[in-house]
Amino acid sequence: MLQVRDLESGYGPMQVLWKPGLEVKAGTVTSLLGPNGAGKSTLLGTVFGSVPPWGGTVVYEGKEITREPTHKKVQLGMALVPEGKHLFPNMTVEENLYMGAYLKRAEAHREESLEQVYELFPRLKERRRQMAGLLSGGEQQMVTVGRSLMTKPKLIMLDEPSQGLAPLLVELMFETIRKMKDDIGLTILLVEQNADASLEAADYVYVMHEGTIKAEGTPDQIKASDDIREAFLGM
Amino acid sequence: MVFEQLTGNLFQGLVLGAVYGMATMGLSLIFGVLKVVNVGHGAFVMVGAFITFWLFSALGVNPIFAIPVAFVIGLGLGLFFYYTVIQRLIKAPELATLLATFSIGVLLQEVVKLIFGSEFRGYNWTVGKIDLGLTVLPVSKLLASLGSVGIAVLLYIWFNRTRAGSAMRSVVEDSEGARVCGVNVGAAYAWSFALGIGLTVTSGVLLTMFIPVGINPYMGGGYTLKAFVIAVLGGLSSPYGAFFGGLVFGLIENGSYTLFALLPGVEPFALTRFLSFLILLIILLIRPTGLLTRK
Ligand SMILES: Nc1ncnc2c1ncn2[C@@H]1O[C@H](COP(=O)(O)OP(=O)(O)OP(=O)(O)O)[C@@H](O)[C@H]1O
Ligand SMILES: [Mg+2]
Repeated sequence: MLQVRDLESGYGPMQVLWKPGLEVKAGTVTSLLGPNGAGKSTLLGTVFGSVPPWGGTVVYEGKEITREPTHKKVQLGMALVPEGKHLFPNMTVEENLYMGAYLKRAEAHREESLEQVYELFPRLKERRRQMAGLLSGGEQQMVTVGRSLMTKPKLIMLDEPSQGLAPLLVELMFETIRKMKDDIGLTILLVEQNADASLEAADYVYVMHEGTIKAEGTPDQIKASDDIREAFLGM
Repeated sequence: MVFEQLTGNLFQGLVLGAVYGMATMGLSLIFGVLKVVNVGHGAFVMVGAFITFWLFSALGVNPIFAIPVAFVIGLGLGLFFYYTVIQRLIKAPELATLLATFSIGVLLQEVVKLIFGSEFRGYNWTVGKIDLGLTVLPVSKLLASLGSVGIAVLLYIWFNRTRAGSAMRSVVEDSEGARVCGVNVGAAYAWSFALGIGLTVTSGVLLTMFIPVGINPYMGGGYTLKAFVIAVLGGLSSPYGAFFGGLVFGLIENGSYTLFALLPGVEPFALTRFLSFLILLIILLIRPTGLLTRK
């Protein structure tokens, strides 16, 4: 579904990605782990196009789309749930969700998509007329995930969706990820700090450090390797 | 007697305030979307004034028909300056865009001076007066005011009922969030700037319908300053806040004019301008985010 090869990018003169490569197979949850500052968010941003790529390739559904603008990528069914929410604080919950169905392709299905989001997060249905800026942190995270689902994606990239959430909500978020895969049939690229839960949810794992991929394998292989766990995951 | 004069003047202030408000919406829109302060604001007002003057004097065109002409020329100027200048500076430090918009203003002044010279111009559009009981008002002023309200309403509908409008609103709220939704953020920047300039040039038409004299290449400075006061009153980044800020400003300006005129030996006009800046300073001190903002 998604192949990333030799990707390079950074900010100003500072290079952050040093040719990492990874593959996300259709219908799976692929997890990207690594310590703070490893470049995980930068990798997602560069794949999505909000951080301009310097080199390397991104192939999505067999097509090279490295330098396509973000709105084209959303049109093709690629979605990003960015780190740090980025919702529209002065719009209601429902207006936020409808903004997710902004593009024509998604607009055609927006009522069913909305039902789907409300089924995943019944709490949002109760709060649908409230200004998004007034929601709790957990509810805001639900809106951000829901809004990206409204774009009718095939591939969804989540950047630390459980960051800063209470344990119960972390559990809900991982339950939602499982439903997105099993019930909706999405392909998922997941960036997480929460290594335990992430290894639990994933079909395949990449470990990133200092802008490159240091290790990869099935969750069991990663768990079995003391070296990897100690060196990169602090477990 | 004084009271009657005051209510009459306040009413006139409201009528003028609507035009002031409309004349600030472009500034607020550009700041709201791009976080760029258009220091050249007044020069674009001046361009609108000259479009009106020239269409009227040279071709005998009714100032009302100058409105769409000015809007389209403004859109064009906005797109031109966005792609040649502003786009490259969006991520640069604020000083860069301040200097750039200031220079664009100077450029416009000098180009207009080259074409029309620097003397004061005016035109005489006589459409009669109307007695509203409270006060007698020239029909041209009433039309300018109603036109301003109409444009503000159209803008509101456009923002809330069209795809392009909601895209722009989402960019104002969070540009990264807008990108995630598939909004073409680059295009939204360009068209917001164009729309802001279009509105500003159009306001030059409405302002000369109100005051059809004193048209010259350097007339913009005063309007830039007033627009800053109004924008701050209205909360800087919201065009509707700016509109209401304009109404408040019109009331303050006309009300204080009446009151200052009562003081013996005082030239009220100069004091009115002084008062505007006093208000600006006070607001910036106590509520730097503007008076009419929510938070
Ligand atoms: N917008 C930015 N401008 C400049 N530098 C940035 C920017 N975003 C990230 N960086 C830098 O790039 C490097 C990688 O950051 P990135 O956010 O990709 O790491 P991460 O793996 O997502 O970390 P975290 O787990 O803390 O989210 C860091 O050194 C960071 O300081
Ligand atoms: Mg990150």
